[in-house]
Amino acid sequence: MNAPVFVRDLAKSYRVHEREEGLGAAMRALVKRRYRDVRAVDGITFEIGEGEVVGFLGPNGAGKTTTLKMLAGLLYPTSGEATVLGHTPWLRESRFLTQITLLMGNRSQLVWDIPAADSFRVLQQIYEIGESDYRVRLDELSDLLDLGPLLHKPVRQLSLGERMKVEFAASLVHAPRVIFLDEPTIGLDVTAQTRIRRFVADYNRRTGATILLTSHYMDDVVALCRRVLVIHHGKLLYDGGLADLATRMAPYKLVVVTLADGASPRFDEFGEVVASEEGRTTVRVPRESAAERTAAIIRAFEQQVVDLSVEDPPIEEVIDRVFSGERPLSQVRS
Amino acid sequence: MKLLRIYRALLTAQLQATAQYRAQAFLYVLFSVIRPIVFLAAWVAVANARGGSVGSFDVADFAGYFIALTLVSHLCMSWFAWEFEQDVAQGNLSPRLLRPLHPIHYAAAANISYKIVTSIGLLPILLLVAVSFHARFQTTLEHLLLFIPSMILAAVLSFLFDWVQASTAFWITRSSQVSFVLGRVSFIFGGQIAPLALLPGVLGTIAYALPFGYMLAVPADILRGGVDPARGLLLVGAQALWVLLFYAALQRVWRAGVREYSAVGA
Amino acid sequence: MPEVRYARIAAIFLRTEIQYAMAYRANFTFGIVRLFIVVGTSIGAALILFQYTDAMNGWTLPQMIALLGVYYLVQGLADLMFMPSVTKLMEQVRLGTLDFVLLKPANSQFLVSTRYVEPTQIASVIVGAAVVALGASRMQPSPALSDALSFALALACGVALVYSLLIAIGTLAFWFVRMDNLLVIFSSLIEAGRFPVDIYPGWLRATLSTLVPIGIAVTVPAQAISGRVDALGLATIVLVGAGSLVFTAWFWRRGLRSYTGASA
Repeated sequence: MNAPVFVRDLAKSYRVHEREEGLGAAMRALVKRRYRDVRAVDGITFEIGEGEVVGFLGPNGAGKTTTLKMLAGLLYPTSGEATVLGHTPWLRESRFLTQITLLMGNRSQLVWDIPAADSFRVLQQIYEIGESDYRVRLDELSDLLDLGPLLHKPVRQLSLGERMKVEFAASLVHAPRVIFLDEPTIGLDVTAQTRIRRFVADYNRRTGATILLTSHYMDDVVALCRRVLVIHHGKLLYDGGLADLATRMAPYKLVVVTLADGASPRFDEFGEVVASEEGRTTVRVPRESAAERTAAIIRAFEQQVVDLSVEDPPIEEVIDRVFSGERPLSQVRS
Repeated sequence: MKLLRIYRALLTAQLQATAQYRAQAFLYVLFSVIRPIVFLAAWVAVANARGGSVGSFDVADFAGYFIALTLVSHLCMSWFAWEFEQDVAQGNLSPRLLRPLHPIHYAAAANISYKIVTSIGLLPILLLVAVSFHARFQTTLEHLLLFIPSMILAAVLSFLFDWVQASTAFWITRSSQVSFVLGRVSFIFGGQIAPLALLPGVLGTIAYALPFGYMLAVPADILRGGVDPARGLLLVGAQALWVLLFYAALQRVWRAGVREYSAVGA
Repeated sequence: MPEVRYARIAAIFLRTEIQYAMAYRANFTFGIVRLFIVVGTSIGAALILFQYTDAMNGWTLPQMIALLGVYYLVQGLADLMFMPSVTKLMEQVRLGTLDFVLLKPANSQFLVSTRYVEPTQIASVIVGAAVVALGASRMQPSPALSDALSFALALACGVALVYSLLIAIGTLAFWFVRMDNLLVIFSSLIEAGRFPVDIYPGWLRATLSTLVPIGIAVTVPAQAISGRVDALGLATIVLVGAGSLVFTAWFWRRGLRSYTGASA
């Protein structure tokens, strides 16, 4: 219970009313609506320790945002419990709300037509931040995010990347101890993404804030999180280190062989060929027999091997395979 | 006739579009209905304080007048100037100027179809008010025969007047402010707060010299049978003169405006 | 002291919005010119009616002018703060940006009701008050202090009533996303507030006293300044005003539960 974020058997289902096509169905629906329960989050359990940065992975509709919103106090769960900093989020006590923040990459809390500095003054009043604290924090955030003149331009004149930096500052000006980030880099160009990542890492190091983030970009997760939670159809599939994720979820390795003279003989007997171009061939082999298959390849093409490496599959690919259901889910549960 | 065929096509399309928003359209009828009812109630209070009548109007006459006025003002509505200011500012006008048909016809079709759809909602409300205030109509056949041209002329006049105001957008960025001020003048002199016959002193004379009454009070008075047919004929003649005047004005103003618009190159 | 804090939040909201309005200064000027034209022509309309009588349903001309002042005062207050807030609330529910309001450690109904302000309407409030004063100064006999006090009380309750209605309409957006139509009904019926509610036929008087209480919100304060309100009338509006605030606060919490209980 000392963990800043503690979640047990948390579940949330929505009632959606089913709509059939056609006039007859529409008339029937007027009299009696048919409902269907959709379980968005289906009993998940985890804890996050002080100062951890945890990535929350899963395809669209997996339940990531729903979980984040429950933890931020925006949604009531159907069942289960959660505490954040010792508070039950959905009671939305002031003492809880002053210590957390939720940043949503696809929504803006800044007022469009006025400079952000004015919106910050409003936040200062709402969060009851003393003048000296306010100055110090704003300077620090300005510094980390390189805000400079951005705060004094009307928000509508900022580029998406600039606006996101200002959104970050707005979400953090009250120095929250737990930070929820929902797709913080969505729609940004690569440079802006990198900047935001560096900022989040720096911020975590400086303040020791606990961070839970969701992202579509694996690069965000790889750069920031040592630990990931994988959620799919509302269930937690994996909770552990990012490095272990590949071992556990992808039971194969990739052997990349380059032969002299661009030769490309048949590799089918060693494993599944996934790519082959100009003498460079990638073969997928079962993880447990990776060593002996590699040895076999060297033996077979001894003279011609120019280069050979054994790699873990890219993390995107691993995740993709899990989500597309290539492996039975029970086997990957940690 | 070619124009007739075009209008049939435009109206069919516009009617379908308007029908999509009929729920909202019915609600907007409330705006047309509330003001006349409010002033009707006020005049009833005044009449009652004087023992039942003001001038030649008793309570039932007031009811007849304001009900007729509601119908007329609804059928005379024209809101083009409000949209046009935006269209000019945002450059939406250019593609429409390129079409082989003058933009006025699109606006006219939209205007007519809106009125067709919403009148269905308006008539029962008017009937209700007529019953609850015991409205009196002294309409004869002659009045009805006069009302038809008078109503058409009033609607055309208000549409042309609206377009002349809209055309000021070619020169003034906030032309809807012009429409706003004119709307308040019409509030006093168009017959919205009182039948023109009851405007005290010189105000009544001014009202008959301005165009606003010819879009509202004049057809309303004819419809309720409040003027004798000979005078009615004279008023319809005056309406026709106003229409000619504004038609000529619009032609000049519009042509000059489009020249100005293309010169600026928006 | 939470009250001080909330006053400070409201003040900074107002300041932010004035800054915003200043960015579009021409609109501000036009708004004020329009206001004077509207109020002027409305007084003109009242003068025309009173050419034919000394009293309408017992209301004298000065009393009627005071009532018109209250009308613009109440309408100004509604348009100053409540209308923009409610319109914005509906948009925030639709776009999901209301989440940011709910994440703030302060009363959400307060934040929603005060956040958006239409500063032009401050002029309407001032002009409305001036017109009330004009009417009151012409009254025979002039209003006593007790009349002024019961006027202030009735006005506060009337405004509370209008506020409650608007927030309640806004709250409905938690269940039904499109509530703009109800606002259209409200805006169209506001016109009826320019005359005392007692001149209207039964069905309209009932609507203006209950469903869209703009009628009593304007009429009762005007009666108060004219010394025409009795204890029962005053007690009723106080009760109804306070009751509507309590109801709205409850309804807001209900709506919020449904919002946070529902979709993502």
